[in-house]
Formats: sequence, structure tokens, C-alpha cells
Amino acid sequence: MINLSEVYKMRDKLRKWREENYRNSEQIVDVGEELINEHASKLGDDVWIIYEQVMIAALDCSRDDLAWSCLQELKRQFPDSHRVKRLAGMRLEALERYEDANKLYDSILQDDPTNTAARKRKISILQAQGKSSEAIRELNEYLEQFVGDQEAWHELSELYINEHDYAKAAFCLEELMMTNPHNHLYCEQYAEVKYTQGGLENLELARKYFAQALKLNNRNMRALFGLYMSASHIAASPKVSAKVKKDNVKYAAWATSQISRAYQMAGRGKKENKCSVKAVEEMLESMQITMS
Amino acid sequence: MGEVELSCLAYAKMYLHASQFPRCSVNGLLLSSSPAGGAVCITDCVPLLHTHLSLAPITQLALTQVDAWCSQTHQRIMGYYQANACVSDSSPTPCALKIAEKIFEQCNNAVLLMIDGEKMFPGCRVPPIVMYERKDARWALKDKHTIMLRQWEETCSIVNQLFSSGDQALLVDFDSHLDDITKDWTNQKLNAKIMELVSPANGNV
Repeated sequence: MINLSEVYKMRDKLRKWREENYRNSEQIVDVGEELINEHASKLGDDVWIIYEQVMIAALDCSRDDLAWSCLQELKRQFPDSHRVKRLAGMRLEALERYEDANKLYDSILQDDPTNTAARKRKISILQAQGKSSEAIRELNEYLEQFVGDQEAWHELSELYINEHDYAKAAFCLEELMMTNPHNHLYCEQYAEVKYTQGGLENLELARKYFAQALKLNNRNMRALFGLYMSASHIAASPKVSAKVKKDNVKYAAWATSQISRAYQMAGRGKKENKCSVKAVEEMLESMQITMS
Repeated sequence: MGEVELSCLAYAKMYLHASQFPRCSVNGLLLSSSPAGGAVCITDCVPLLHTHLSLAPITQLALTQVDAWCSQTHQRIMGYYQANACVSDSSPTPCALKIAEKIFEQCNNAVLLMIDGEKMFPGCRVPPIVMYERKDARWALKDKHTIMLRQWEETCSIVNQLFSSGDQALLVDFDSHLDDITKDWTNQKLNAKIMELVSPANGNV
């Protein structure tokens, strides 16, 4: 027999995962299924949002049985809800019944043209069908109306990156950096895109934004390595002035020392990552030689 | 080009990598510890990324580090694998072709391996892989009959055992290593577990 505090612990776990938007669907199904099957009565009004959360996780794990029963409970409690209708649509998507899902979403939009959730599901269907250019077009249209939707801007940047349209991806990330100046991940992704575009100007921008990401979070290893690589490439370029070369050699050297330090701390006491530590040391050594 | 052999270790880790990130495209490098010029055998693999496969910096970084590790361990990079997020499309992406080209520059019997997501279900009788080789300046489909997967049923059962024991969670790819550098992208621990499962009756796999 499980006691009340255990039930609340499980409920709180689900809430944490919900609030932080984790997609650990197998865990959610594990915890959530037990909660709703055995302890639904102890959850109060939380039970409905938990049904929703478990249903979506169940779809992610191909547990249509569980998704179906959650959906039934929600339909019974909220018979005319658009939010529940969208969940029904997601189930159809999981079954690859895209036409039926689209019909459902279209009916929501007829009732309520500002329903962003339904519009985003329609775009997701295009992505699932591999229709990236249409998805991009629809997402652009969506963003013209809902220009503050961060999630959508990020999704669009990902779509552009997949299509190798780096200039447009950079534009999306610029929007995100403007509205989220303290987010080190956006800075670092922007820097990666600039680095990929290549050319001296882009490399310098990349280096600056890797540095910015590090300022915001000094443990971002991608930013640290990125700083090292962009500075090294700039220093090795025949087109730069002696001063620029000297500065970048300095930046690269600083990055090297930070990287070595980080790996030494990581390697302490752990025999198993000796190989990765050694590989980094070799790499740093070999790149030093090509730079001088 | 002739036969290419794919070891249980390499296959298992690729499969585990694709399974660990079902919603992402994943990629990695194929390694060989057999001498160049002899029979072509993919003896191991290094799982690389599950995000932003087409962005340069991390890919370059990973290639350099794996290269360094290979020279320390007498292996060489001889191929590239990728599993697309979109299960119904297992054709090589421009990014896959680009990286495979780079590898081909250093290794003239390089292979490009695409994982076919549609065949990754329990009980599938066919290996979920499609292999390409360099022929006449392009990447051409390799004849299925020249791809050797010794003891295929054994390999499948080993993969199943890894899932049931929960050991599939041990797999670390380069992306995960960058998120936490105490994690080992050479996967020594997982390699040992797989080799344990391989060795009893089978000798070399």
C-alpha cells in the first residue's frame, strides 16, 4: 500500500517535468500510469493536467492504449474543449492518419482562427511528412502574425539549419538573441551558424558570439571549443594583419588553457574517460603546431 | 569494390545510438582496426551527434578528436553512418555526402552507411542498413550480398540483451560528452559489456 506522501512525490515529479518541458516520455508514462490508475482520487484537480501530460507521453512511447484511455477521461470531463480536440488530433498524428488530424485542426481553426496550438500541429504534420519547404513557408506566415512566439522562431531556425539555409537560420537566432539576451545557448548556436557560413568576417563574428556565450555561461564546452577553433582559424589565415593574428593567437591560447583545465578536472579519479582526455590533449597539441 | 564486414560491436552501437534519440537525426564514424589493403572490416564505431548535424564546428571538432584517438589506438576512420529523423526517408543527406567525401579523401575504400529506420523493429529479419561505396566519382548503392554481418542472429540477440539489461543507456555520443565531459565518448564501459556478450561461443566477431 502506498502512502499519501509517496503519491504527492510522484505528482510533484510530474509537475517538475511539465514545467521544465522535459520530454522524458518513458519516465512520465511509468510514473503517470501508476498515478492515474491507482491514485486518481487523491490528485484533486491536478488529475486533468496529468491526464494530458501522460497522454502525450504515451503517444511518444507508442502506448495507444494508455493514450486512448486518457483521452476518454478528458473528453468526458471537457466535452467541447478545443484543447482536448487538439489532443485527439495528436493521437491521429501518432497513428499517421494525417488527413483526419488536419480535418480536426481545421475545424478548431474555423471556430477560433487564433488558436495557435492547432496551427502549430498542422505545421508539425508537414514536417512529419518530410515537406520541409511547405513547413517553412507556413511557419513564416505564422510568425508574421505571432511575432513574439519564441518556440516558433527556434523551430524555424532548426528547419533552416536542416535545409542548409544558414543566412535565414542566423536571422531567426538574431531574433531570439534580441529577446533573450541572457540565453547562452542562442549565442552559441548563432556562433556555430556563422562559423559554418565561413569566411573571415563570419569567423570573427563566430568568435565574438562564442565568447559572449562563455560570458553568460563559462561551462559551455561547445562555446569554449568554438572560441578555440574560430580564433585558431583566424590566426592561421594569410589575410589578417599581424595585430589581428597576435590577438587571436592569444584568444586561442586562453581557450586551450581553459579546455585543458576542464578536462583535467573531469579526468580526476575517472579511469574510464582517460581516452577522451588524451584525445583532446593530442588535438590541442597538433593544432598549436599548425598555427605557429 | 569487394566485401565489407560489419562487426557486432559496430552494429550494436549504431543501433543503440539511433534508438537512444528516436526523434533526431544521428550520425557517427565507422572505424577499422584491420590493416589497410587487407579485407575491409568495420570493427568499431564512434557515435557523434544528435543535434545540428549540418553545422560545422562540432563536426570538425569531433573528426579531429576521433582522428587523434584513432592514431593512439591503431584504428582508422573508414566510414560514416547516419540515421535520419524522418523514418521513411533513409537517403543520404547533403551533409552525409559531404562528410563521406572528406573520409574518402583519406581512405579510398570508405563506406557510407544509412540506417533504415523503417526496419528497426523487433523481429525484423533483415539488417536495417543501406550501404554506399564510391564508384565512378559518386556514391553508389553497394550490393547487399557484399555486406557481411557474421552471426546476424547472435548480433540481434545481443542487442536485445542490452535493451533488457538497461545497458543501452550506457551509450555516450560526442554531443552528450560535450554536455558533460566526464562522459566517455569512446564508450569503453559499453564496449566491454558488448564484448562480454559476444565472446563465449563465438571467438572473433
